Amino acid sequence: MKTTFITDINKIKFEVNTEVARLAFAGELDEKANEIPYKLIPGRTPHYRCCVYREREIIRERVQLAMGRSAMSGQKNKNIVQVIEAACEGCPINRFNVTNNCQMCMAKKCLGACNFGAIKFEGGHAVIDHKKCKECGKCAEACPYNAIADLMRPCKRSCPVDAITMDEDNIVVINEEKCINCGQCVINCPFGALSDRSFMVDVIKLISSGAPVYAMVAPAIEGQFGPDVSVGMIREAVMKLGFRDMYEVSLGADFVSKNEGQELLEHYEAGEKMTTSCCPAFVSLIKKHYPQVLKYMSTTVSPMTATGRLIKAMHPDAVCVFIGPCIAKKSEVIDSITFGGADYAMTYEELASMFEAKNIDPEECTETMQQGSKFGKQYSVSGGVTAAVLETFKEANKEVELKVKTCSGAQECKKALMLLKVGKLPEDFIEGMACVGGCVNGPAMLGKSRTFLKDRNGQIAKADDRGVLENVAQYDEYGINMTRNHQ
Amino acid sequence: MTITICIGSSCHLKGSRTIIQKLEELITERQLNDKIELNGSFCMGECSNGVCVKINDELFSVSPETVNTFFENEVLRRL
Repeated sequence: MKTTFITDINKIKFEVNTEVARLAFAGELDEKANEIPYKLIPGRTPHYRCCVYREREIIRERVQLAMGRSAMSGQKNKNIVQVIEAACEGCPINRFNVTNNCQMCMAKKCLGACNFGAIKFEGGHAVIDHKKCKECGKCAEACPYNAIADLMRPCKRSCPVDAITMDEDNIVVINEEKCINCGQCVINCPFGALSDRSFMVDVIKLISSGAPVYAMVAPAIEGQFGPDVSVGMIREAVMKLGFRDMYEVSLGADFVSKNEGQELLEHYEAGEKMTTSCCPAFVSLIKKHYPQVLKYMSTTVSPMTATGRLIKAMHPDAVCVFIGPCIAKKSEVIDSITFGGADYAMTYEELASMFEAKNIDPEECTETMQQGSKFGKQYSVSGGVTAAVLETFKEANKEVELKVKTCSGAQECKKALMLLKVGKLPEDFIEGMACVGGCVNGPAMLGKSRTFLKDRNGQIAKADDRGVLENVAQYDEYGINMTRNHQ
Repeated sequence: MTITICIGSSCHLKGSRTIIQKLEELITERQLNDKIELNGSFCMGECSNGVCVKINDELFSVSPETVNTFFENEVLRRL
């Protein structure tokens, strides 16, 4: 399998995860983890940084994350997303800068707008005294020529919940009380100074122990491991890794569509609004930043939990491992240990590393499978959850005139939740996804370019047209509980 | 109160899942769901003392056999 990478940062992460996976499968991780930085950064010539010693320290911290630990020893932080301190360049850029567009005008609105005396005039244009500047942005708003540029650090700009600050050395710090683990900073830091902790080693150790470990792949899977690699082929490859079997989370998504549809009808008839609950970063956004609207959130479990419960109903000793494009799912696992669903969550990136470590190529596999309906498979695309829920109404011959707000990305989610909070949301139902475009644009996708999406759509087009309700009915005998409270 | 249970592979094999289920049952039985939150955690690095369970920041070693005594002696006392 030829692996391509979105950036060199993804490539380095892949290489670290692959080395860690290789040693974990061989049972040699504890003795040899310290060798990884020297293996990946040999010699004396650095590739990206000032010296090989710094590059090796970055690898060392990445190894810690791959092993499920904090990047720096002694840190007690519980967050999934963590700072790789050695990788942070402390972006020495000052946030507001005057550009050549400054016309040295007569009005000098920037001067009047600044409350801190930070605007001076030198060399024929305005200058910001960065010792005095408090980064309020008033000068940039005031300039009639848009001559003042806002160069916010990429990590801070990408964070939808203002959880990123800097320490006294300008190194990034995550406020864990605010962080929703959406992973935006991970993909937006151009130096790869933020990354996610991994359960991969735990999963490998459990597989090696002989425990019945089951994989559950998220609905964004199609096309991720090659244009012609189908879900069935991935299942065969996953079983070669030592997993007992693999299920599609799109199957659990069908269960969610049915249950959430019923719940939505009850809310609608009672004149109440409702939000989805399948995106873990959206759920955290509500819990941490809009707790007042928690009462409107669907009490249906996520497709991950539904799939895990189904697997455990069939195989009570199963250890269930979610594998998806999502970093926040790892925090969902930690927050929902009493749900009896997934025991661990991993990413497609980590799965690719496991394949590489064991020299398994999904392209060489031949099996076929389909468990989820096409509607379940589209849960990973913005608008897909709504389409699936509405499909259950159609299949049950119910006519419902719903107004839906589809929120693609955390910024849109925030706007809708704010309106809901103050009682001014015109729509009846919010579909919230923290990634713009949905899970197919998730932070741990292997590829999300148009080519990947085309491959994905091509594969989904080949799936059969089973209905959501008939698909769920096949499993009626298991009586899967679909509510968030375990009992 | 937050009870954090290690879900790393070592603690998993020593019965962390049973401990979670039992604690959940005990909490529901005594109607303490509003007072006690159960959370998971990555490996706490104390694998030889597993299953690792923390009450707030205090670390305990619990097994499926001792979970009832742990709940009576350590959890209830701290509420």
